[in-house]
Amino acid sequence: MEVRTQDKYTLTFWEKLYIPEILKGMKLTLEQMLKKKDTREYPEEKWVPPPSYRGAPVLVLERNGVERCVACGLCSRVCPALAIEVQAAETEHEKERYPELFEINMLRCIFCGFCEEVCPEEAIVMSPTYEMVFTRYEDAIFGKDKLLMSAEELAPRLEFLRSHR
Amino acid sequence: MITITIDGKEIQTEPSKTIIEAAFEHGIYVPHFCWHPALSISGNCRMCLVEVEKMPKQVIACSTRCMDGMVVHVNSEKAVQAREAVMEFILINHPLDCPICDEAGECKLQDYAYHYSVGESRFDEEKGLKRKRVALGPRVLFDAERCISCSRCIRFCEDLAGYPELTFVERGDHVTIETFPGRQLENPYSMNVIDICPVGALTSRDFRFKARAWDMSETPGVCPGCARGCSMDMWVRQNEILRLTPRENQEVNNFWMCDRGRLESFRHVHEETRIEQPMLRKDGVQLAVGWDEALAAAASELRSWKGDTVAVIASPYDTCEDNFLAARFAREILTTQFLDILPHVEAGDQDEFLLREDKTPNSAGARIAGVTPVDDAHNLDSIVEGLQSGKIKAVVVSDVRAHEHAGFMQALGKAQFVVAIVSNASALTERADVVLSASTFAEKLGTFLNFEGQLQLLRPAVNTTENERWMGAFAMSRLDKFASEFDRWGRMKRYDARSAGRVFSLLAQLMGGKWGYDHPEDIFEEMAKRIEALHGLTYEGLGRWGVRLGSEQPGHLLPYKYSDVRP
Amino acid sequence: MDFIDIVIALIKIVVMFAVVLVTVAELVYTERKISAWIQNRIGPNRVGWRGLLQPYADVIKLVLKEDIVPTAANRFIHTLAPIISIGVAFSTLAVIPIAGETISMFGREIQMVIADVNVGVLYVLALTSMGVYGLTLSGWSSNNKYSLLGGLRSSAQMISYELSMGLSVIGVIMITGSLQLTEIVSHQSGWMWNMVLQPVGFITFVVAAFAETNRTPFDLPEAEPELVGGYHTEYSSFKFALFFLAEYANMITASAIIVTLYFGGWQVPYLELLALPTGVVVVLQILAFIVKVAFMLFVFQWVRWTVPRFRYDQLMDLGWKVMLPIALANVIVTGIVILLIQ
Repeated sequence: MEVRTQDKYTLTFWEKLYIPEILKGMKLTLEQMLKKKDTREYPEEKWVPPPSYRGAPVLVLERNGVERCVACGLCSRVCPALAIEVQAAETEHEKERYPELFEINMLRCIFCGFCEEVCPEEAIVMSPTYEMVFTRYEDAIFGKDKLLMSAEELAPRLEFLRSHR
Repeated sequence: MITITIDGKEIQTEPSKTIIEAAFEHGIYVPHFCWHPALSISGNCRMCLVEVEKMPKQVIACSTRCMDGMVVHVNSEKAVQAREAVMEFILINHPLDCPICDEAGECKLQDYAYHYSVGESRFDEEKGLKRKRVALGPRVLFDAERCISCSRCIRFCEDLAGYPELTFVERGDHVTIETFPGRQLENPYSMNVIDICPVGALTSRDFRFKARAWDMSETPGVCPGCARGCSMDMWVRQNEILRLTPRENQEVNNFWMCDRGRLESFRHVHEETRIEQPMLRKDGVQLAVGWDEALAAAASELRSWKGDTVAVIASPYDTCEDNFLAARFAREILTTQFLDILPHVEAGDQDEFLLREDKTPNSAGARIAGVTPVDDAHNLDSIVEGLQSGKIKAVVVSDVRAHEHAGFMQALGKAQFVVAIVSNASALTERADVVLSASTFAEKLGTFLNFEGQLQLLRPAVNTTENERWMGAFAMSRLDKFASEFDRWGRMKRYDARSAGRVFSLLAQLMGGKWGYDHPEDIFEEMAKRIEALHGLTYEGLGRWGVRLGSEQPGHLLPYKYSDVRP
Repeated sequence: MDFIDIVIALIKIVVMFAVVLVTVAELVYTERKISAWIQNRIGPNRVGWRGLLQPYADVIKLVLKEDIVPTAANRFIHTLAPIISIGVAFSTLAVIPIAGETISMFGREIQMVIADVNVGVLYVLALTSMGVYGLTLSGWSSNNKYSLLGGLRSSAQMISYELSMGLSVIGVIMITGSLQLTEIVSHQSGWMWNMVLQPVGFITFVVAAFAETNRTPFDLPEAEPELVGGYHTEYSSFKFALFFLAEYANMITASAIIVTLYFGGWQVPYLELLALPTGVVVVLQILAFIVKVAFMLFVFQWVRWTVPRFRYDQLMDLGWKVMLPIALANVIVTGIVILLIQ
């Protein structure tokens, strides 16, 4: 195998003096100072995530007011952080099974999106929600009341998922 | 004896055996749906197709008998192709509703779809629509779409349970299962069809949608429903038993279990009547107290009633170890000979299959452990008489169902001091002066002896405050392993209960006894030394299926363990 | 010198203190702003108008923190060190003239300098070398290996650069013929700033000044990646704030000295041609001084966010093998040129 060696870089006389090189650097930073700033002033100016963004996982609520979830428990099983708890029960609907209890512990959640990937019903998806602030531990456990989000609201993500299947 | 070759392995077998039997006997797995070693041969699923050299077509292993010199290939290209074709056929009309199916995770079809199927279907048409959620009986629901028409359930009811209730109706892709007109699937063994159903077509109404198979831990145990003592598995999630399923034990129950044992025998573990901690009667009112206080109160009171003014009613629901210590406590500490158990017999509720009249799991065990009256003057009748006449003044009862005996309860009313070591509240605990909360069969280690003399090991599945769910010591589900104190599903309901044996041991120590045991295994070791029938036995020696005491050994249905042969 | 002289001196001191303290605070602000701009950010903009009050919030936060002294530390010296640092930093400013004209008040001519010492340059050099005691002592007294290393580095660095600094100034002194700072400033009337007369000396002096103030690229005594916090690792709360203030006060001092020695101090070129009234001239001179100092301060911060920290051997190489010969040569050349002109 050919071995290529890099000779030690030797400084020229002017480089050894440091000062001219430093002045070059200062010219660069001066130019930077005058450029447009990249900062986004967050609370006033909010970032709208692209559909590929993995925010808080939510449950899709169909137009007829029924959740898609059939409480199969695959999300709970695949969740590497054990953030999801599901308790199934029987309903009179055509899909005979529904989640009586569906809880995601947002402090355990690592937003990996495995639940979304494994879901056979496309019922749990990663929403664009990224603002989650809690002051008590209990508040971080989202039940169905907080998790259900209408299919319209989640349309961009659902569209994204379909186009990348 | 003839010699056949299966997958290159030469096997000595008999011409009366089928290929699949010969294969299973020698640890070779052949995929199958309709064949079951305990049922008659039906041969309608075609899954067990194997290639036999010199035969023009692949044959089904379940109904082809062995012939000398036969060369069978289970995994040759032809056999694999045949299986893949069968799988494709079966899956044509099988709905893709695994997410809502209770069988998911323990489904033969699901497993085979991974192992023996190509993974895609060439079938573009609509799947057949059939009836769903059909109540075949009070305990079993039927989903016709999921059914693959293997007829295992029909054969079980007809051949084994002896209740012909199910049959096929219609033909072709319309074929489905129905009960005979005017009948229901309601025989006392009906729920076994759920276990043998290779798909989720038959599901338990009781367990329906309660939990996923993979969320529960599975602990081998012994059914406490009757003197048969069926081997079963306890399925626990969040420290609660959700269901029992029979476990293969050819020396006791083969693959089966009665509906009553399956549904009712564990209810008291989580019932509202469960006593959560010791109670002590103070000025006529029962107050919840700590163990130390309750034990001290019981011991100091019992100390004044020594001799034949005290009686001990041990429990046929408790383990042999518990009863052994109950007997030692009565004889050595209380120095009384009044010691017996209460019978719990439901006359007539018995058959040749599994059910026994004696509804206690361990009457035989209690007897062998030493709870035997020395003579007729000290048996149960004498105890009741003694109570009536006021000769016996104090009683220690550990039978959780003592309240079912009206005569005994009435006599108990005359006693001056009653100690109850039971798990659930009843008329007995209302009467008791000291109630010591005992653990149930699901919470302790010990042995049960069935009416035939099979001694089986009982393992804890549910934990109490005394009995922590350690890694290794318990069967643990994923949830048990990783729960933190902050997870609601990790904060499990636990009762402050101790096994009756432990309670007797503690009482004995408080009353000057020189013996005490920390672990049931120590007690069993002592029993094995003292009791002739148990000589040489250890917990380890009991294994998965137990040991038959006495000279008569049980006959086995099969020369192998069906559940041990795996792909 | 009578009572009123003392009062006037005191007033000057108080004013100087107030101005420097406010400047120090706002320097923290500009430092953060400049770093932000160089990194295409906005910088602090929440506390007060455009974030101007941010440094005060920071100081309040610092002061409210718990003052922790390590158990094994030498308590007395541990407390003394930051006081030395801040004291030295402020004292140097006493000899810096901020305007040439005097103003008449209370029947006296008041000079625009706190103390017009005739050995001003020596005073400055002496005090700046004193500053190193603050760092070395803090490093030693903390009883922490990182602090100690930081302290040692700072003394080694100080010795290395003090030499070239002193030699650079000699050029200026040779031209002026005086050690008095007012005299040096007066000598640089018009465009005859020492920066022009002494370009090499100016550069070596500025570089040495950076080293003396422990600013990047010479902030080896507190090099975070290697020494945690260096000499102030074990400092918290107000004591830490003092070190923090001292660093910025040192910057002001260094800028003021550079301005005085090389930028013509308060000199506004050709101002005398306009023949303005004395009061206006004084104001303009003070303004000129402030603008020049402000520019130097900006350069300090600009360099800090441009140049990364030197490696220690590079630092020593630069000090002994580059700076010292150049400064020496500068002295010799200056001497020869002066001889030739005379």
